[in-house]
Amino acid sequence: MTSALVGIVNLQMGNLRSVSNAIDSLGFDHCLVERPADLIAVTHLVLPGVGSFHRAMEHMHSIGMYNPIRDFGASGRPMLGLCLGMQLLGSSGEEGESMAGLGLVPGEVRKLDSASVEPIPHVGWNSVELRGAHPVFRGVRTGVDFYFVHSYYFRPANPDDALGVTDCGEQFVSVAGRENIIGLQFHPEKSQANGLRLLDNFCGWDGRC
Amino acid sequence: MSGIRDLPRRSEAGTSDVASIFDATTLNGRAEVDEQTSRRRLPVIDLVRCSRCGLPETYETIEFDSAGVCNICRQREFRDSSIDWNARRAQLTELVEQYRGRHEYDCIIPFSGGKDSTFTLYHMVKELKVKPLVVQFNHGFMRPTLLSNNERTFRILGVDVLSFRPNWRVVKRLMLETLVRKGDFCWHCHTGIYSYPMHVALKYNTPLIIWGEPSSEYTAYYDYRDDVMEEVDETRFNRFINLGITAEDMSGMISGDFDFDPRDLAPYTYPPVRDLRRLKYRSVCLGSFIPWDTRTQAQIIHEELGWEGDEVENMPPGMYRYEKIECWVQGVRDYIKFLKRGYHRVTQMTALDLRNGRIEKADADALVREFENRRPPSLDIFLEYLGISEAEFNAIVLNTVVAPHRPDFEAITPGDKTWDFDQWYREK
Repeated sequence: MTSALVGIVNLQMGNLRSVSNAIDSLGFDHCLVERPADLIAVTHLVLPGVGSFHRAMEHMHSIGMYNPIRDFGASGRPMLGLCLGMQLLGSSGEEGESMAGLGLVPGEVRKLDSASVEPIPHVGWNSVELRGAHPVFRGVRTGVDFYFVHSYYFRPANPDDALGVTDCGEQFVSVAGRENIIGLQFHPEKSQANGLRLLDNFCGWDGRC
Repeated sequence: MSGIRDLPRRSEAGTSDVASIFDATTLNGRAEVDEQTSRRRLPVIDLVRCSRCGLPETYETIEFDSAGVCNICRQREFRDSSIDWNARRAQLTELVEQYRGRHEYDCIIPFSGGKDSTFTLYHMVKELKVKPLVVQFNHGFMRPTLLSNNERTFRILGVDVLSFRPNWRVVKRLMLETLVRKGDFCWHCHTGIYSYPMHVALKYNTPLIIWGEPSSEYTAYYDYRDDVMEEVDETRFNRFINLGITAEDMSGMISGDFDFDPRDLAPYTYPPVRDLRRLKYRSVCLGSFIPWDTRTQAQIIHEELGWEGDEVENMPPGMYRYEKIECWVQGVRDYIKFLKRGYHRVTQMTALDLRNGRIEKADADALVREFENRRPPSLDIFLEYLGISEAEFNAIVLNTVVAPHRPDFEAITPGDKTWDFDQWYREK
């Protein structure tokens, strides 16, 4: 039996149900995280998200979750950002905006280049080339497909934090992370067996690489 | 022939007579038409066959390459040339050690008593020294030789055994329903064999389940060339085991005319995946870790456990006595396959031998010609169980024929009884 309790941050935007359904089907206990006290018993934290970086960060501040989530990330417990949630891990939002991110993985959010990516958003199945082994990717081969829906991507400042890349006309970092923190630009909860494998690995991860 | 997907009309709800789901007039009328059709002796279609093993185009999942060789042969080539079996053996040891001594049993071994599950049990107990729980789903047709084999095996190996036999009244109704819908009356057996041990895994808190032969030996639902471990899970169950009919579907299909308790279908229901995941289950085939070789393995269990083969209806006498000895209506299953797809077990067995270089093509073809067009004596018993006539049976099977094959009922000759025919349960 597992003793993990997976917290899913509710930022009032996006794919909470599909994420919690996926984690539920994998047999893990889970709860929604909406206020700082909810984090006490949580062993693994998922930061999902669909929509605007700016609005998501505003909401996080408004419910008093900015520092508690940062503290969780600094505690060494495993933390997973999905899609927009991956971008929120970074230092700052899209170019031209002043909104700061969680700063857990240094780097910035950029928009896909409309000159080379047609159309935007990048929607559908695409492959992820892994840059090396990671516990969350155990048993998943490099080059397999995951499901994407996004117009922006996160570019880590330190190339070592880029764990996987995808090419949609423009090559971008689709997996980033350092230490106990990992972000996925695609939606593992919508990516069939390989996606579920990632979530399963994450929920069983001790946060060490 | 009228619409291929025409199902028999149902009688009024509330009756429980199995035969009453047929509108006798309609079905008999169609049977007559079909008999006339078959008497016209439409030209027999020569099926495209694998140039190497002889499997025909009506075989499930088959494809042919430019050399006329089928994908089953090609994945077998890959199995023998490109899989690192030493690494696979090490993976099995690692897997077993991960679970050893931590639960009520080291593993569950689903067991019919045929050559594959007997070898699996033997190998796991003798080579990997596990303490298994043997789980037998008794489909209701186990033959005397099989039962005495089982008895001897359990005693010699010293294992705990759970045997489960589902409600016979329900089994008969399920057989009729899937015969009509799919031309395959074995749904209760397919689903029960693969779902029941998973329920036991949960009840006995035993997460490791070791099956025998991987399906990639016979079909391409899973391909050795993908080099991915075939997990015997709900995905596989829904992909081909349950014929596309879940227990919930089945409940709706039979509820109009059959009186049953919803719990009667529980043994055929795959348990919740969440529960299995919480158990941290692994459900894999021994044949994913060691290269499967049925003939050699049958010889090993014969020498070590006294396991005996048996004759099977419409199989060449003295050959393949290790194959499909579990069930006394196996002959009917093979006969339906022949009518539907234009080949049966002789083709499948000689295909394996051709791949292994154990038989000449001309000899294989001669066996196929001689034995595949025979009517099994067990058909009479089977028709009694289902309460249908042979004309009704033929009409049902005609509705499920796989193109471009066309069965030729006129060419069917009577097959021989096996030695234990008179011991099989009769309804009348």
